[in-house]
Amino acid sequence: MPKTLRDLRPVRVIGIGLHPYQRASDTSYVTLGLRAVREALTDAGVAWTDVEAAYNGTALLGMAPTRAMLRHLGATGLPVLQVENASASGSSAVAQASLAVASGVCDVALAMGVDKPGMMNVASAKAGVRDLSGSRILPFTHFALLANEYMRRHGARPEHLAQVAVKNSRNGAHNPYAQRQKARSLEEVLAPPFISGSLTRLQCCPIGEGAAAVIIASDDAIRRLGVPADRAPRILASVTRSERVYEGARNFDAELTRETTAQAYEEAGVGPEDLDLIELHDAFAIEELLYVEAMGLCAEGEGAAMLMKGDTDIGGRCAVSTSGGLLAMGHPIGPTGVGQICEITRQLRGEAGPRQQPDARTGLVHMVGIGAVCVAHVLQL
Amino acid sequence: MSDARAAHPGLYRIDQNPPSLLGQRCAACGRLAFPPNPYGCEGCGAEADELVTEEIPGDGELAAFATVHLHPGKDIETPFTVGTVVLDAGPTVRATLTCATDDGLAIGNRVHTQLVPQQSEDDGELLELRFAVEKS
Ligand SMILES: [Zn+2]
Repeated sequence: MPKTLRDLRPVRVIGIGLHPYQRASDTSYVTLGLRAVREALTDAGVAWTDVEAAYNGTALLGMAPTRAMLRHLGATGLPVLQVENASASGSSAVAQASLAVASGVCDVALAMGVDKPGMMNVASAKAGVRDLSGSRILPFTHFALLANEYMRRHGARPEHLAQVAVKNSRNGAHNPYAQRQKARSLEEVLAPPFISGSLTRLQCCPIGEGAAAVIIASDDAIRRLGVPADRAPRILASVTRSERVYEGARNFDAELTRETTAQAYEEAGVGPEDLDLIELHDAFAIEELLYVEAMGLCAEGEGAAMLMKGDTDIGGRCAVSTSGGLLAMGHPIGPTGVGQICEITRQLRGEAGPRQQPDARTGLVHMVGIGAVCVAHVLQL
Repeated sequence: MSDARAAHPGLYRIDQNPPSLLGQRCAACGRLAFPPNPYGCEGCGAEADELVTEEIPGDGELAAFATVHLHPGKDIETPFTVGTVVLDAGPTVRATLTCATDDGLAIGNRVHTQLVPQQSEDDGELLELRFAVEKS
């Protein structure tokens, strides 16, 4: 019988670090990445020489960026691997590092993500299968179409979608690593420019640069290195799936998220009612409503009502995107999924300061990548 | 019109009005798919020689629409409006609508294919397939 992550030995996040997400600048990716890794090592209280393998989520930098960066920490000869899975690249780096530690082939692994804005060279354009829409339906229009369908079906209004960005901007205003650190009013979010359909600029995530890093370790390493276990949440489940043919389904993105998170709950032995917080792929405001429903936090069509009631605010039943999410913290591609793990870890430790979700114990992390793929992790402390 | 060509060769006929879409029926599992591909069936994995070209009438229902204000290409001016269309024959397709804005559009409107000459094309006429909406 195939084993799940939880059937293997426990893996825990012992260190987190970030380079703030920001607009594209002339800072090199090496500077971005090293800052995040050094911060994660310091946070864990371990040395670079303790790290036995490195997985680097990156989609835009080009071939072989990882050793050219990590050698400046001291070239220890550790195995390094680039992990590319579109927007879920960082999440997939976390998945690979978790499996490496859980399997026992190493005790301490680095999962990181680093990217700078560049040419989005999406391979499916070269697959030799053309469609009618081509570049006229980019991701923001894909989600504008889903927003249009959602509003009509469930009687939601553009103000409900905009409220997602209002909430997440409020959270991001307390996050020193966020690209957008300004709380926005409903009027500001609804104001032009319109990008596509009802989506205004502030309902679309900023794509900038940055880096994020987590150190993942076994209990053996935690004892040996003297890491405080009460700051090291366990990764209970790690699930990656890709899109199937959902015959007759209206929304493939929601279906993919539904089956990926359902499997993550099962493997972790938790349900949506156990979650204290979630970091999810809110590249566009509509996605948060689609995904909280697909994740089973509420019934289909009730995502807007749940949001308006404050259930997904910090202090609510299940806080969604305390970091500010992709909408406010930003979406530098490779780092994003790793940055989500940093946020959940910080929250579970109770170290999130003004954006702390009270008594947070269990968190879900979710990313979607174009193509489409979905990666979910469940963390618990 | 003699030198008119399809902007997306192989995806629709240009000698009909309204034009049919060119889909593929899988001889192994019966799935009707659009757009066609030269590789294999996404439903069951049957190889390309099992995929039989099938004309799909260009009639359907508007399931969603969005007016696009930001577009990197020079093939069309903004704003333009795109739609998700559920064809009567089954497949869901997304394409540009003949109307530039969403004025008067409603989900559930009937739509039909229409050939539209693509703008700023100086080397013969390129015909692209769009959907015209019967506004209620
Ligand atoms: Zn088939």
